[in-house]
Amino acid sequence: MADLKQLVLGRKDVQDFGDTEAEMPHDLMTVNMGPSHPAMHGTVRIVLTVDGERIVRSDVQPGYLHRCFEKEVEHATYTQAFPYTDRLNYVSPMINNCGWAMAVEKLMGMTGQLPKRAEYVRVIVSEMSRMTDHLTCIGASAMELGAFGPFLFFLKAREWFYELLEKVSGARLTHTYVRVGGVNKDLPDGFCGELAHLLDKTGPIIVEVETLILNNKIFRDRVAGIGKMTAETAIATGCGGPILRAAGVDYDVRKDFPYSIYPEVEFDVPVGTTGDCYDRYLVRLEELRQSIRILRQCIAQIPDGPVMIDDPRVALPPKRDTYNNIESMIRHFKHIVDGIKVPAGEAYTFVEGGNGELGFFIAADGTGRPYKAYVRSPSFVHLSTASALIHDHLIADVVPIFGMINMIGGECDK
Amino acid sequence: MSDHPPVNLTIDGQAITVPAGTNVLEAAKLAGTDISAFCYHPGLKVVAQCRQCLVSIEKNPKLQPSCQQTCGEGMVVHTKDAASTLARKQMLEFTLLNHPVDCPICDKAGECTLQKLYFENDNADSRVDIDKVHKAKVVDLGPTIVLDQERCILCSRCIRVCDEVAGEHQLEFSQRGDHEVLGCAPGAQLDNAYSLNTVDVCPVGALTAKDFRFTMRAWELDATPSVCNGCATGCNIEIQHKNGRAWRLVPRHNAEVNDYWMCDEGRLTYHDLRAERLAGATVDGLPAGWDRAIKIAGERLAGALATPATVGVVLSAAHSNEDNFALAKLAKAWGAQVFIAVRPLVPARADGKLRVADVNPNAGGVKAIVEALGLATKPAYELEGAGLRALVLLGDLLPNLGAAGTGKLKELELIAISAHERGPVTGARVALPAAAWAEASGTITNAKGHVQRMHPAFPPPGQALAGWEAVVRLAQATGVKLVWAHARDVFKEMTGTVPAWAGLTWTREARPLALRFAGSRG
Repeated sequence: MADLKQLVLGRKDVQDFGDTEAEMPHDLMTVNMGPSHPAMHGTVRIVLTVDGERIVRSDVQPGYLHRCFEKEVEHATYTQAFPYTDRLNYVSPMINNCGWAMAVEKLMGMTGQLPKRAEYVRVIVSEMSRMTDHLTCIGASAMELGAFGPFLFFLKAREWFYELLEKVSGARLTHTYVRVGGVNKDLPDGFCGELAHLLDKTGPIIVEVETLILNNKIFRDRVAGIGKMTAETAIATGCGGPILRAAGVDYDVRKDFPYSIYPEVEFDVPVGTTGDCYDRYLVRLEELRQSIRILRQCIAQIPDGPVMIDDPRVALPPKRDTYNNIESMIRHFKHIVDGIKVPAGEAYTFVEGGNGELGFFIAADGTGRPYKAYVRSPSFVHLSTASALIHDHLIADVVPIFGMINMIGGECDK
Repeated sequence: MSDHPPVNLTIDGQAITVPAGTNVLEAAKLAGTDISAFCYHPGLKVVAQCRQCLVSIEKNPKLQPSCQQTCGEGMVVHTKDAASTLARKQMLEFTLLNHPVDCPICDKAGECTLQKLYFENDNADSRVDIDKVHKAKVVDLGPTIVLDQERCILCSRCIRVCDEVAGEHQLEFSQRGDHEVLGCAPGAQLDNAYSLNTVDVCPVGALTAKDFRFTMRAWELDATPSVCNGCATGCNIEIQHKNGRAWRLVPRHNAEVNDYWMCDEGRLTYHDLRAERLAGATVDGLPAGWDRAIKIAGERLAGALATPATVGVVLSAAHSNEDNFALAKLAKAWGAQVFIAVRPLVPARADGKLRVADVNPNAGGVKAIVEALGLATKPAYELEGAGLRALVLLGDLLPNLGAAGTGKLKELELIAISAHERGPVTGARVALPAAAWAEASGTITNAKGHVQRMHPAFPPPGQALAGWEAVVRLAQATGVKLVWAHARDVFKEMTGTVPAWAGLTWTREARPLALRFAGSRG
C-alpha cells in the first residue's frame, strides 16, 4: 500500500501521512477570472488570490475593449461622434446618443430650445434603451447563477424593443439616431400603438420573472447579503444608478438634475435598504416598471411637430432644397464635410444612463470637431469598487456581484 | 509709412494700435476679428469690389469697405453691429443669386471662401424663385486653367494676379450687370508663368487648374510645409498630399522669399516625385537588399580606396544640405576627389520676380559646405580626365558630361545614391535608393542664402532612405564612422561646421494639417 502511494503521488513523504491526516495546502493560490469567462459580463480580467474558496486579494484589469473613444472623436465631426457613442454602453445606445447631443447643445446654447416632440422622442427611445439595459442585466446575471428561464424571457422582451428601435433608427443595436438639435427622423407611423402593445406584453413578463427568481431560495442565497455597499461608500466612490439607489440613496439624475421632458412625466425612484446584490436586482426590476410608466405617459402626451430644431447651424436642409438651391447645398456640404460649427468653450452634461450617471465633457475650439472629449462612464466608476466588493467573498460570489455591477466593456474601457 | 506715428483705434470695443497706413480689415485681424471678404487679398491691390467687408465706422454716414479704409487716429469701428451684419448677409444673398448648385462637382468645395462666408455669416434659406442666369461652364483660358463663368463671383483677384504678380494683362471682365463675365483680354490668353496662382486666389471654383481638377477632393488632403525644389528661389510651399502621394503644391506666405506666390513650373515639380523612382537597392542592375548592396559597394570601393585619389565623389545641388554634408564628410574622410553636379543656368528663365536662372535648388548650400570643410572641388563634367576608378554619385545628374565622359562613366565602379533611376543611375554598379525632397526632413539653401526647412509629407517608396542615411551606411562599409541617427544630428554638426549657418535651430517636425478641419483659407 505504501509503495502504491509513492507511485501515485510521486512524493516520498506522503507515505508518512495516514489517510485521515491529508490536508489542503495552506498557501494562497492565484487564479484568473476572465478575460473570457462565460459568467463574466464583458471582457475583463480579474486576478484572484484565494485562500481556498475565499478571496483575499483581487486585481481587476479592464481595458480589453479600449477603442480610444475620446481620442477618436477628436478626429471626427460632432455628428460623426454619434456612432462612437453607440458603442459605449452598447446595451442602451440611445441614452449615450442623447448625452452627447446634450453636451454639444449646451455648447451651442440650445439647451431647452428643442421642439417638444424631439424631446419626447428622445425620452421615449432613452427609456426603451433603459429597459433593454435592465432586461439584459437582470436576465444575464440570473442566467449566470443558473436560472436560464428568466434569461430567455427577458431576452425575448429585449428583442421586441430592439426590433421597434430598429424600425425607428434603421439599426438594431447601433442606432445613431439622435442628432445635435433633435433626432435624425420622426418616429415611424404607428409607433405609439406598437410601443403600447409592447409595454402590455412586457409587464407580465416582468411579473413572471419576479415569480421565478425573487422567492427562489437558491437565487436568494446567492445574492442576498452578497456584495454589500453602504450609502457612504457608494457616494464616496462616485457610484450612481441602481448601485447607489440600492444602497438607499435617493438619487436619480432625471429627478435631481431634471433634463429634457422628465419634469413633465411622473415616475418614482426606487431605493434599496441594504445595498446588497438582491437590492440591486429589486431596484432594476422596479425601474423597468417605472420606465413602462414613463413610456405610457410619453405615448399619451407626445405632441405633433418637428423633431429637429429650426436652426441652420445644426439642422440639415431638406434634401429637396439641397439639390435645388445653392444656399441649402452649401449648408448641407458644410454640415457634412466640415461639421457643425460649435463655438469655443467647455461644457459638461450628464444624464441618467442605464448604469448610472453618464457624463460627457467637451472642450470645443470653434472648429467642426471637438478639441477634447471625455466621457464619465458609470461602468468605469463602478468597476473601481469591484475589488472591495468581492473581498472576503467566495469565488462563486464574484459572479452575482460582478453581474450586478453590470460592467459594460464598451463603456468602461471607452 | 514708417515716418508716421502708429495710430490708435477701437475695433468692436477693443483698443488697438497699428502702424500708420494699415487698413481696417488688417487691423481687425490683429484685434482677433476676421472680417469676411472676397476681393481683398493681402498680396494684391485693394479694389473694394465685393462689398463683403463693409463695417460701421462712427461719424461716418455710410458703411465703409474695411479693406479700403485706412485706419485713422481715434477711429471707432464696429464689425458686429446690426448694420454691417445685415450688409454682409445681404451681400451674400446677392452673390449667391446666380451661383450654380455645383458644390458636389466643384474642385473648390471644402476650401471655398463663398461656402465659408455663407455658412458663417448668412446661413439663411434661399428666397429666389426665378431662374438663374446661365453662362459658359467650360472656358479654356490657356494651357493651365479652365474657367467656369457661372461660378465666378467677379472679385477680380485673378485679374490682379496677372497684372501685378505676373505683370501681364491677360484677364478682363466684359459685359455688365448679371451678364458680366470674366474672360481673356483681347488677343491674349492666360499663359503667364504665374497663371496657377489665379486658382489659389480664386475664392470660388471658377478657375480650376487643369493639373488638379477632378483628381482629389480638397478637404481630404493633408498639408505639410516644405520648400519648392524647382529652382534657387526656394519658394515656401505646402505639399498637399493624401495616400502617400502629393496631389498639388501650393505657395505658403513668406515675405522674405516668395510673398504669396510661386511659379507654374515649380508647382508642377511634384509629378517628378512619382516618376522613375528607385525603390530598392540594386547591384549590377539586379534587385538587392540594403545589406547586400552596401556590403558589395564596400568591397568594390575597397580596391580604389587604396589610392584615395582614384575615388570621386559627386555632390548634388539638387539634394539637401544634410545629404551633401554627409557625403562631403565621407569624401573628406576618404581623401577622395570632390565634384559638384550643378545644372547650367537658364538665363531665359530669369524674370526679375520669382523665377531665376539658377535651376539648382541648393547650389548655394553645397558651395557653403565644401568651403567650410576646405574641400577642393571640380565641376562634375571634369571627372573624365581625373584618373578615377570609382565614383560615388549623389542624385541622378551629371550635367554637361559629354560623350567621352559618358563613355568613361561605364568603366567606373559607379555607386549611385539617388531617388530616381534615370540618367547615370541606370548604369550604376550599385544603386542605393534615396528619399526625394518631399519625403525626408532636411534643409536647402536658396540663392539669397536662406536655409529653409523641408518637412517630410509622406514616407519614401519601398526601401528608400534619406540620402544622408545611405551615406552613413556606405561609410560604415568602408570603415568610416559617421554617427548620426537623425537628420537633426546631421544638421547640428553641419551648423557647427559651416560658419554662416551657426546659430540656426532645428524645429520640430511639422504634423500634416488636415485641410478638412482647417477651414477655408481662401
